[in-house]
Amino acid sequence: MTSADDLSTILSSGMRLTAPLAFAACGEYLAHRAGAINISVEGMMLGAAFGSVAAASVTGSATTGLVAGALVGLLIAMIHGNLVHRAHINTFVVGLVLNALVLGLTTFLIAINTFASHQVSKIEIPLLSDLPLIGEALFTGRWPMYLLLLFIPLTWWLVERSRWGLELRAVGEDPIAADLTGIEVNKRRRQALMWCGLLAGLGGAYLAVGEVGSFNQNMTDGRGYIVIAAVIFGGWRLGRTILGCILFGLADAMRLALPAMGLTLDSNLLIATPYLLAILVMLMFASSKREPRSLGQPFQRTI
Amino acid sequence: MKSSALVPEVAQQVAGIAQAVPAPALELRGISKAYGKVVASDNVDLTINPGEIHGLLGENGAGKSTLMKILLGLEKPDSGIIRRQGADVRIANPQDARKHGIDMVHQHFSLIGPMAVWENVILGDTGAVNRSAACEQVENVAMRYGLPIDPLARVDALSAGERQRVELIKCLRREPEFLVLDEPTSVLTQEESEELFDVLRRMVQSENRAVILISHKLAEITAATDSITVLRKGRVVFHQLTSKTTHQELARQMVGRDVSLLADAAAVGVLPVAGTSDADAEPRRDFSGLPPALGLRELTVVQDGATLLDRFSLDVAPGEIVGLYGVEGNGQSVLGDVLSGLVMPTSGSVAVGGDVVALERADALTRAGIGIVPEDRHRSGVILALSVAENLAMKSLGSVSGKFLLSHRAMRENAQRLMAEYSITAPSPDAPVGRLSGGNQQRLVLARELSNEPRVLVVAQPTQGLDIGAIEDMYGRIRAVASQGIGVLLISTELEEIMTLASRVAVISSGILSGVLAAEDVTAERLGMMVGGAS
Amino acid sequence: MDASKNLAEHGSADPNRRRELLAGLKPSRSTALITLVTAASVLLALALSLGLIAWTGGSAWESVKALYTGSMASKAAWSSTLLYVAPLLLVAIGSCVSMRGGVFNIGQEGQVLIGALAGSWVALRLALPGMSLMIATLVAATVAGALWAGLSSLMYRLRGVNIVVSTLLMTFIAIQVVGFAVSKDWWLQASRIGDSVVESQSNQLPADAQVGSFGEYPNIQINGGLIIAVLLAIGIAVLVSRSRWGLQLKMMGLSPIAAKHAGVKTGRLSAVALGISGATAGLAGAILVTSPVSTNRLQPGVSNGIGWDGLLIVLVARFNPLVAIPVALLFGVLRAGGGFLASTGVPSSLVDVMKALLVLAFVVPPAVVQLAQQRRKRVKTPRTKTPVIKNPTPEGAVA
Repeated sequence: MTSADDLSTILSSGMRLTAPLAFAACGEYLAHRAGAINISVEGMMLGAAFGSVAAASVTGSATTGLVAGALVGLLIAMIHGNLVHRAHINTFVVGLVLNALVLGLTTFLIAINTFASHQVSKIEIPLLSDLPLIGEALFTGRWPMYLLLLFIPLTWWLVERSRWGLELRAVGEDPIAADLTGIEVNKRRRQALMWCGLLAGLGGAYLAVGEVGSFNQNMTDGRGYIVIAAVIFGGWRLGRTILGCILFGLADAMRLALPAMGLTLDSNLLIATPYLLAILVMLMFASSKREPRSLGQPFQRTI
Repeated sequence: MKSSALVPEVAQQVAGIAQAVPAPALELRGISKAYGKVVASDNVDLTINPGEIHGLLGENGAGKSTLMKILLGLEKPDSGIIRRQGADVRIANPQDARKHGIDMVHQHFSLIGPMAVWENVILGDTGAVNRSAACEQVENVAMRYGLPIDPLARVDALSAGERQRVELIKCLRREPEFLVLDEPTSVLTQEESEELFDVLRRMVQSENRAVILISHKLAEITAATDSITVLRKGRVVFHQLTSKTTHQELARQMVGRDVSLLADAAAVGVLPVAGTSDADAEPRRDFSGLPPALGLRELTVVQDGATLLDRFSLDVAPGEIVGLYGVEGNGQSVLGDVLSGLVMPTSGSVAVGGDVVALERADALTRAGIGIVPEDRHRSGVILALSVAENLAMKSLGSVSGKFLLSHRAMRENAQRLMAEYSITAPSPDAPVGRLSGGNQQRLVLARELSNEPRVLVVAQPTQGLDIGAIEDMYGRIRAVASQGIGVLLISTELEEIMTLASRVAVISSGILSGVLAAEDVTAERLGMMVGGAS
Repeated sequence: MDASKNLAEHGSADPNRRRELLAGLKPSRSTALITLVTAASVLLALALSLGLIAWTGGSAWESVKALYTGSMASKAAWSSTLLYVAPLLLVAIGSCVSMRGGVFNIGQEGQVLIGALAGSWVALRLALPGMSLMIATLVAATVAGALWAGLSSLMYRLRGVNIVVSTLLMTFIAIQVVGFAVSKDWWLQASRIGDSVVESQSNQLPADAQVGSFGEYPNIQINGGLIIAVLLAIGIAVLVSRSRWGLQLKMMGLSPIAAKHAGVKTGRLSAVALGISGATAGLAGAILVTSPVSTNRLQPGVSNGIGWDGLLIVLVARFNPLVAIPVALLFGVLRAGGGFLASTGVPSSLVDVMKALLVLAFVVPPAVVQLAQQRRKRVKTPRTKTPVIKNPTPEGAVA
């Protein structure tokens, strides 16, 4: 293998590892902008991965699996939203418990079920896919990967240009003022979480019925937390958040590819990279003006 | 436009003759509203004519805000009607009010700092967001009224005056017929205030709108309005064209005639409020010659660019009760926070008995001998979920514990002693404070603070939310404290409270000490002038 | 004078409204209601778990029997249950301290691992005689756990980094640090024997470093770790409920402003509380590698979710270290019994579902009851707009 081939392989595997992160990151990013930080994004992805495989197996259609996965994500997000932004239970408590529940439940269910393998089809864009280095990475892939071309701009548009996004941002920055303006703070946050659930679900489903074709126990393996790290790394800007996802996806790809190439870059270090970078970024830009000011703060009117 | 200055009766006569003069644009008739036993609005009549700036003057609790809340549909009146162009209207919420052309400029809270001006302006609308249209609209309104602003600027980056402009634009672009401004200049500089009033004047004159301006600042209300209504204790006590009244008269009307009576009574030691006066019972000890119990020097607090307390200096002698009077929101709260150790002053010093306190130490103020009954006792005074005994021992854990372990017995004994001494009624020393009535909670705070044997006691709004019996009890206790030689700083927005207790009255206005008077020198006029920031 | 502040003032100026407010705080009726709903929820959680077995074709009764057999039926079963209880309880009691102070540490899993790492290093690399090696091992683990948590405190103090997020992220770094340590022969990787492939784990800890047990099979085996954990639980219970420090901690957790007003150094106290939480988690890590619950080797998966479970225990025990003892026992029973489930054809991960449902059954009812009461009140009293952010967390805690 030439080194150009190696690079091309790493890039294309990096893209495939980035896609699930990028879907979920769009969702988590939007939730953060509304002030609704949620670690249950991990559970949403894992639940969706399982749901997609199960649904694909039952219906025989990977595409149906993808949709089912998104819906599982949505369901978990709605549970989270109601417990946190209606019943006012601490978001981290709810996240911890939901993640534990989803992990336990999916591990249990996969142990007693066997699902037929279904995978969405691959597409190859003629000519472009033959480009050196990036051809394989960008222009061949499972088709849902290209949904990112829809969802990234859509998320951006929703947050920055839509009335809904305007209100979300108001809620994320200053819930008291938003409330005074007549915006229903907790409702907006629940809605933001629903978007987060749909996209995290899509990310998890993509991982399962898109790339792997089956479900393994704890197959997301902390990817939800990496997504949160990516949003923090991105300084609450969508572009940089996606960039973070690509960076983390590539690090993961290198971890997988390097041993085969006989290179020794420590795999533990590579896995730790996203977390280290996120912490580094928080240390460097701690007083980031971009951080939604009410991030993680519950809103409750007294009486 | 002078026509606006027509008194209602004349306007009605004219209306009979010519169609050109409409009925009063907005009338409030017989508006009453009570919160429990507190009457906030008592049969209020108010007439607002187009083309006028109508000043609404009054102290805290005079009922200005309640009245405006009713007008905006935030509160429902117990009785009374609102008429617009002669027809009855029902205003159940701010949306209704908006439909009838009534809008209000909010002062704080309603702008979102990290968002752009144009985004703030359209927040609360519905429908698609159109950035260029919104910016254009902002610029149009800005141009029309002379309120220059960059629609793309982040609100965070704007000065207080510019934020005010944004608030105004946000309101004006809805083309309200009636615009309510509640203390609009509290955060503005002199220059910015003048600009604001110029804009209002232009708007009223050229577009025949009406403005209701709520203020306690005499200078600005006389300079900016066409007619003035003074409210006191929920009632309209005075109404006059601005040109026909004076600062002195307004000050008198705002504060009330009984002030001089109170002052006289205080001077001869016959106080109209029940509660024994220890000053008479035993000969007053002489504390003169001692350093002041509390000495505040040039205290300045700047937060987020706003100067909340501006070179504030005041002495309280041992055994003296000094009342700090002013309209709410003029720096009293932050002064209380400084004296509670919750806010570090930007500059200046606090001295107790002549010794400067090292404020950066967490418990320095308590150790130095400052006891405080805070304004909002649920915020910093008590912890509702903790027991009576725990709350009573909170600031002196050393006295109820060894080096490490708490002595629950000592805590309970301490509690029982203080509960008896201060008549705190509670199911038991172990009951959570949340189960106590307001009066008992307040006595608990007082008991705790006094049990640390302070040299000075700061009491902020000590009777807020208490019933009559509890109020009288509190007054008696505050007097008893002073007679023991403890200096008392009484921060209050209730003039009667101050006049009942204090021998000297200091007045705070916009974070500045606007003057100190001996109780017997207090007249409604002088006090009103100082409260209004005019001296 | 702004609108909302004024409204608040009117609210408090009205004695009637205040009385109503206080009525909501009276424990009597709502406490009873919460207890009732919680009890019902626990039953529901159990029913759901068993229902899940039945629905997936297993036998609920057989599963319960297997859980019992694996955890309580014999002395050996009890022994294995109790071995799990020690680290679980250790994590839980430290978390009680931080939670009571309103400092939300969710990085226990990582702190456990770092404790295990430091303990293993001392045990394998320091040549200390006899008992002193064991003591040094435990102390090193405790200190390491505290320091690892202390990094989050430091990051908060220096740069305002959110404590919850940093403790969470640090967990994943800790996992990799341990993985790194046991895959490097110059650090802690097991020594090569002949030509065999070396696994990613450490050598077995020397016997001197291991925490001894009382009783041997077939009697009940009680490991020293359990004794340490129970004694510490009692000690921490005394600390939080009987000491001066504990009262200050509670004050800070309930109302940071009032605590600061009363002279509590909230910044330092938060850091200490977080440090204690990290310390007991670190100690739990040492117990994991030095007691018979493991193979006495440092392995990447040695924490095995103990840190997460310890956190869940605190939520059920509502921050009470003594209540944490029976709850930890229950979680130990589920862990030990879970191993036996597989024999009935029901996957052991069922116990994870049960644990999560149980925690939900304890966490959700109080909030829901409160919500229902607020709803009722809102219907009764006219709506007033008094938007105030309820945010009772001290420095260092995430809101």
